[in-house]
Amino acid sequence: MDAPVRLVVTDDLRRSRLTVFFRLLLALPHFFWIVLWTIVVVPAAIICWFAALATGRPPTGLHRFLSAYIRYGAHLAAYLSLAANPYPGFTGEPGYPIDVELPEAAPQPRWKTALRLVLALPALLLAAVVGSGSIGGGGGGRGSGADESWGGFLFSGGGLLVVCAFLGWFATLALGRMPSGLRDLAAYGVGYSAQTSAYLLLVTDRYPSSDPDAAGPRWSLPPHAIGVEVDDDGRRSRLTVFFRLLLALPHFVWLTLWSVAAVLAALVNGIYTLVRGRSAAPLHRFLAAYVRYSAHVTAFATLVGNRFPGFTGAPGYAVDISIGAAERQSRWVTLFRTILVIPAFLVSGGLSAALAVVAFLGWFAALATGRMPEGLRRLGAIAVRYLAQTSAYWLIVTDDYPYASPALRAAYEPIEPAAELHGEAAA
Amino acid sequence: MLWQTRVPDGLRLPELDNARVFEGAALERAETYERFLRLDFIASQLVLIVVLALYAWRGAGFARESAAGRIGTGMLLGMIGLALVWLSQVPFRVAETWWDRRYDQSDAGYVTTLFENWFALGAEFLFISLALVIVMALAGRFPRRWWIAAAPVFIGLATLFAFVTPYLFPTEPANAALQADARRFASAQEIEPPRLSVQDVSGFTDAPNAFAAGFGPTRRVVLWSTLLDGRFSEGEVETVLAHELGHHSGNHILESLAWYALFALPGTWLIALATRRRGGMRHPAAVPVSLLVLVVLQLGSLPLQNAISRHMEEEADWVALETTRDADQARGLFEKFTTLALADPDPPAWSTALLDGHPSILERIEFAEAWRTRSR
Repeated sequence: MDAPVRLVVTDDLRRSRLTVFFRLLLALPHFFWIVLWTIVVVPAAIICWFAALATGRPPTGLHRFLSAYIRYGAHLAAYLSLAANPYPGFTGEPGYPIDVELPEAAPQPRWKTALRLVLALPALLLAAVVGSGSIGGGGGGRGSGADESWGGFLFSGGGLLVVCAFLGWFATLALGRMPSGLRDLAAYGVGYSAQTSAYLLLVTDRYPSSDPDAAGPRWSLPPHAIGVEVDDDGRRSRLTVFFRLLLALPHFVWLTLWSVAAVLAALVNGIYTLVRGRSAAPLHRFLAAYVRYSAHVTAFATLVGNRFPGFTGAPGYAVDISIGAAERQSRWVTLFRTILVIPAFLVSGGLSAALAVVAFLGWFAALATGRMPEGLRRLGAIAVRYLAQTSAYWLIVTDDYPYASPALRAAYEPIEPAAELHGEAAA
Repeated sequence: MLWQTRVPDGLRLPELDNARVFEGAALERAETYERFLRLDFIASQLVLIVVLALYAWRGAGFARESAAGRIGTGMLLGMIGLALVWLSQVPFRVAETWWDRRYDQSDAGYVTTLFENWFALGAEFLFISLALVIVMALAGRFPRRWWIAAAPVFIGLATLFAFVTPYLFPTEPANAALQADARRFASAQEIEPPRLSVQDVSGFTDAPNAFAAGFGPTRRVVLWSTLLDGRFSEGEVETVLAHELGHHSGNHILESLAWYALFALPGTWLIALATRRRGGMRHPAAVPVSLLVLVVLQLGSLPLQNAISRHMEEEADWVALETTRDADQARGLFEKFTTLALADPDPPAWSTALLDGHPSILERIEFAEAWRTRSR
């Protein structure tokens, strides 16, 4: 079934260093504007709610107005998080490089309308982590005044968008381009926040899906030494779900002990790699097993995986990490690995927060239904993949930099630059 | 040797009448209070056995939830068994809380009651995992004789646990006056004074208590804050202190370990025997059965365990009387255990056998009176 709220990405990754440097200041008029708009949107949403309760569908005019507000919020969020480059318009007109397609007004079940605010709480919680916690889809929503008056006041966490914006700011000033992984992750955050806003504001009655593939473009995922393999049917044993953290305790103890050994092994491996230009095979095997094991434990503890994992990091777990043999590594990258990994650690922190929310929401869902929701599971698997890539990079298992895109497995198909598309059209 | 005691041979206890020692209302209140707790205990143990029997029968099916190999799967099955035990005991814990609140023995809320023990449950999960790693690793190597090697390992672990116990819960140092008393009493009992601490338990109970823990350099006496909240006189607190020091001067912690060592070998052998039909402890499918056998053995040995414990408590009571030389304070203390903590002064014999690690209140008062007579 097609998602009614879809994210459209036509951004070409190019950025103007000047506008990036002054991005927050340039956005000041938008901050004022979104505050004013939100002041109008709140009563409009309430009127829409009563009307939808009475007639069974939101009034077309209000629906259009709220849709424009959601689009505008998404544009602004994309602009602030550097997921897009052009200065956004003030009316929420379609056509921005990071845009959302919203459905026409349609009948909605009255019970879903009546309970909308309560039903939206889990999605708002997740939006607070993958977005900025604001209903307008808003990266930088913390500073956006009344934008915080809905979800933002409840969930004031910085979110992945802020991490992407922070890292993207430095990267863009240096390169003149936004790294595609960061852009994709930010775009995903914008898209999920827009879905949540659309649900909350009665633009659609379809519950937001956290599955990045459900409502987004085809995310890129370049070849990488560390990949994730998911072979899980979504079924969960309620008993092991209820006691999941306690059941994971032996693994936490073992993982802690193993971590100490892994750090020491990585130190030796780093010296070896500096000298020989590649990891020592036994150390590579040891560290690869550690990376796999920590991914298995993370997946198990956060309900992304179901079965109790083994203690040796052997391949074959339902959420597994594929790691190739030891390959040549750049000596420069190895020498500065501890500094270079800092941005990846920041993204990992954001994704870990998302993973914690996945586990929290998944716990209730799995207890109620005996299954882990597909969207949460896939988002969780993506986070597990990124965490594994980060630790593999840090532990000198590979010099492939962690790739932040919200993709599980995909061929590397970069999105064609919008400018080139326009050029072709003109030609 | 383990049964030796400092209580004089042939000590004759006077036969006191409950009704003469306690007021009728206080007596009835204590008896009613404890009667419910006894029923709660019996029901909880019956449910426990039924749950574990069902688990022993069908629990091996949970192995499909594991991707962890032989030992890891065994650990998972052990932890799931504990989880089921915990779940099965929830109604009884709630009932107990309700009863305690009704009799002003606790202010703890129901949610607190359910979740305050999660850390303890986590520790139990870790402990059973460790125990199963040891057992299943040994059983993998010695399928029929693992129990011979496992018993010494468990004795070692129990000794380690007893040694570090004083560090496992937060305490504050006791005040200077109590410290001085502790030094004086320790000297009278001819031991080095152990550390004296106070544990704040006011958040979850009003019941008075104290205990001795550790051995060697970790020896400690811990008084619950409820003992020092003004309801007990200075002399009564001194009696408690002397009693706990009596456990240290009698080496009761080490004696308990020795008793444990005595039963560890037959216990592990019985588990090995009972799990043979499931292929022995090297197979995860045997774990649910082993849990059932372990619990049944523990329940079956309760009368013996309690008898040993009462024997040590009796000795500590006697040593306390010899130390403080004040039978009035001892009697006052024991009477307050009934009037304040609602301890039934004269419980039925089966309850004593199954539930009581201390002599009954009436026996302890009789003991104080016997000391008074003897010391004249």
